[in-house]
Amino acid sequence: MKQLIKDYLDHGISRRQLVSGLSALGMSGVAAKAVAQNLSPLGPGAAEAVAAAAPVAIRDVEGNGGALFVAQLKAAGVEYLFFNPSTGDHPIFDALVDVPEIHLIKGIQEGAVIAMADGYARASGRTGVVVVANIGLPNAMTQMVNSYKDQIPLLVAVASVDQDALGRDQLQEPDHPELMTEPITKWFWQMQSTAAVAETTRRALKFAATPPCGPVFLSLPTNTLEQRAKAQVWERSKFDVPMRIRPDKDDIEKAARMLIEAKNPLISIGDDITSCRGEKELVELAELLGAPVAGLTGGLGYWSKPFPTRHPLYVGALLRTMRYPGKPDVLLNLGNRFGEIASPGTRLISIRLDPTGLARGAPVDVAMVADLRLAMADLSDAIRSMAAASRLKAIADERTARAAAYSKQMHDEREALARALADSTPVSLERLGLELEANLDRDTCYVTDADSGKTMDALMSFGGDDKPYFSTSPNVLGWGMAAGFGVKLARPDVPVVSVVGDGSFCFSGPQPLWSMARYKAPVTVIVLNNHSYNNERNRIWNGAGRQFEAARDMTCYLGDPDVDYAKAAGAFGVEGETVKQPDGLRDAFARAKSAMVEGRPYLLDIHIKREGLGAVSEWYPPYSVADLRTRKV
Amino acid sequence: MRAALPALVVLAIAAAVAPSRAQNANPLPPGEGRDLVAVACSQCHYLGTIAKIRDGAAGWRVYVDNMVLRGAQLSGPEIETVVNYLALNLGPGMNLSPPKPVTLPDGAGKDLVETRCSVCHDLERVAVVKRDRRAWPLIVADMAAWGAPTTPEEAKTIADYLTAHFSD
Ligand code: HEC
Ligand code: HEC
Ligand SMILES: Cc1ncc(C[n+]2csc(CCOP(=O)(O)OP(=O)(O)O)c2C)c(N)n1
Ligand SMILES: [Mg+2]
Repeated sequence: MKQLIKDYLDHGISRRQLVSGLSALGMSGVAAKAVAQNLSPLGPGAAEAVAAAAPVAIRDVEGNGGALFVAQLKAAGVEYLFFNPSTGDHPIFDALVDVPEIHLIKGIQEGAVIAMADGYARASGRTGVVVVANIGLPNAMTQMVNSYKDQIPLLVAVASVDQDALGRDQLQEPDHPELMTEPITKWFWQMQSTAAVAETTRRALKFAATPPCGPVFLSLPTNTLEQRAKAQVWERSKFDVPMRIRPDKDDIEKAARMLIEAKNPLISIGDDITSCRGEKELVELAELLGAPVAGLTGGLGYWSKPFPTRHPLYVGALLRTMRYPGKPDVLLNLGNRFGEIASPGTRLISIRLDPTGLARGAPVDVAMVADLRLAMADLSDAIRSMAAASRLKAIADERTARAAAYSKQMHDEREALARALADSTPVSLERLGLELEANLDRDTCYVTDADSGKTMDALMSFGGDDKPYFSTSPNVLGWGMAAGFGVKLARPDVPVVSVVGDGSFCFSGPQPLWSMARYKAPVTVIVLNNHSYNNERNRIWNGAGRQFEAARDMTCYLGDPDVDYAKAAGAFGVEGETVKQPDGLRDAFARAKSAMVEGRPYLLDIHIKREGLGAVSEWYPPYSVADLRTRKV
Repeated sequence: MRAALPALVVLAIAAAVAPSRAQNANPLPPGEGRDLVAVACSQCHYLGTIAKIRDGAAGWRVYVDNMVLRGAQLSGPEIETVVNYLALNLGPGMNLSPPKPVTLPDGAGKDLVETRCSVCHDLERVAVVKRDRRAWPLIVADMAAWGAPTTPEEAKTIADYLTAHFSD
């Protein structure tokens, strides 16, 4: 067997001959293929690689820096490399020729590459791995802000110039490009040698995926990728130790006692729960207490909906003054970045995954850093052990009945409001919200970076057995379509819809559609085309400044030129259509669905009514460059 | 860059520092329902613009309904109280601040514009920038729907006047 492998490594025999030779020696077909694959990044002359044939967690490998990088990614179980190529990173792609386990996903603008990886990471819980050109790094950084703020694990790498050339005013590289990423990464590093490639890659993967997660950045000087070295690669389990932190027992008991004694508790929820996959434990805890649950609403500040929004205990936005349940005597903040609200007469318990976000803006009575899933499970256990089940149930039943009456009243009221606005042309967001709720399958992943389009959220159901919700808390636009692709990649067996504003579409441009077309990703893209930065104008005018006074929208009208998004999609290989009438929605959804069933993406450019201050205005400051000319050239 | 912070977040942060900020800065005129509006409408943003808008009941209802969908926690009867307060106290012609002096060119329709088109906003909104000829009849129709007190004939006179003087 040793001889067989040596022959293969010295190019004496082909991969197929190796596999059949190994099978002849009694190895199963799968194992033989695995051996062949394990050998593949090594290149010629690496006889030590014989050791690698055995399925061990730590292996010695030899190869150039690109091969070592890829070998370490593969050992860590990385499935996808999201990329846009440059010259310097060729050793990485050379190595991938022989590593079929890692699939290449190409994006044609770096922001889209990051957002695809980010969507994949949010939906899969795995780290998104990205390689882009050093010169394109600033494009990537726009979208890295979303990942950083939402603590999404990404490894972003670029090939930089040779170490010899660093600091020599190279054309395509500023000095210390890695420093650019400092404010939006958990960690950044410039590779010092080929021998360090595998180890540093491991470290990067570890930092990215250790909660609170986030993007990390590696700058790989081209010579470190081209030169050869020996190194170890480790399986993920050897370096990526789980960080499931249990809260302190005494703190949990204190919190449990406060919650049992509370007359009017309120739970505020946030994205930490989603990051810790604690949705089930949240429902259990809320139901045990009969405590109403409030989350963020509005355009910004959250990226997920960890509690079923049609649960009777869900009472909507967390406001300073809650109509129901009124002033809480105990506020339990579970992983909500903005959920620590201080108020005399309210005691605050706050549990966060991220210690830097704890007790940051308001005085906290009991503060815990913990994995939210474990903390909620411990809290439920402590409550059950400290109070009789019958007493808990009586309290919970009574509170739940009151919360249910309130949440039903608000639900019915919102539906009635929306129905009253449902027949306008262009289509109202209220109508579209009702239609989406009626037409989308319950397990549809709803991916959005809409702005005013978030008004529809209140008319739809998310979380629990309903649609998983994906957005970004800073809403750096141009994310939605690419992230929709990433979510579909992570969850190919559920429908995915990506809902973006016309403004948002233009921040990414149609480039994410290119990847959908190339990789046959059946995603329905909905463009909320209100011909405006509608909510931006509302926010600007809400300051009641000169633009409001004079009713002159100096900045936000988009309708001239009137962009045809369906046509733009067509140019990038994605079929689409324009919907101008509310009555046309259902058939359009049906056509989108058939395209998805057939394995194709589809785009709906829906003309949407503008709403709010100055919405009627189509005026913008006129100017004509053609008129400046004194010669018609 | 206000857009960078959600209004809720501003409040969540501000709440600890200045719990009574919204109340201190209440610019709403007195009237039945003022307290409800002051609380319900200051949870996510300041009251400044609300106090500056003048609109009829139908127009106010659109804003208020929109806010309920965005998370304002008003019951059906409370919505009525809020809309009534707003339409009554911040309706066309109510509690106006002194108008900006705008001198309109002479012509048939000038008086109508001065009287009918200044009750919700300054004439600066109306008669300063030039607009497409086709836009004026549509804008005037919009304003009538919004609550501008005009008969169809008056609306036509106004649109003709504005088209004659404020179009290219
Ligand atoms: C009932 C209140 C009301 C009355 C009366 C009124 N408007 Fe308006 N007007 C508005 C509102 C509301 C807006 C929308 C801007 C905003 O949202 O602040 C507006 C905006 C405008 C604009 C800017 C719209 C654009 O397309 O850029 C013009 C021009 C205008 N009004 C003209 C008029 C004219 C002419 C009249 C008289 C016929 C009139 N308005 C009477 C409420 C009114
Ligand atoms: C749950 C939060 C919330 C509450 C409560 C709320 N608003 Fe708003 N409001 C918003 C948001 C979000 C915007 C959009 C602009 C922004 O982001 O600041 C807005 C904007 C507005 C605007 C500008 C026009 C528009 O549609 O964008 C008006 C007018 C307004 N609100 C009136 C009110 C009134 C009246 C109330 C009380 C009935 C109220 N608001 C309560 C969230 C709220
Ligand atoms: C990359 C980026 N640039 C600029 C902004 C600022 N911004 C916030 S909302 C907005 C307009 C959004 O327009 P659209 O997507 O059409 O949403 P609408 O409000 O019309 O629903 C802009 C430009 C941003 N959030 N992200
Ligand atoms: Mg828009």
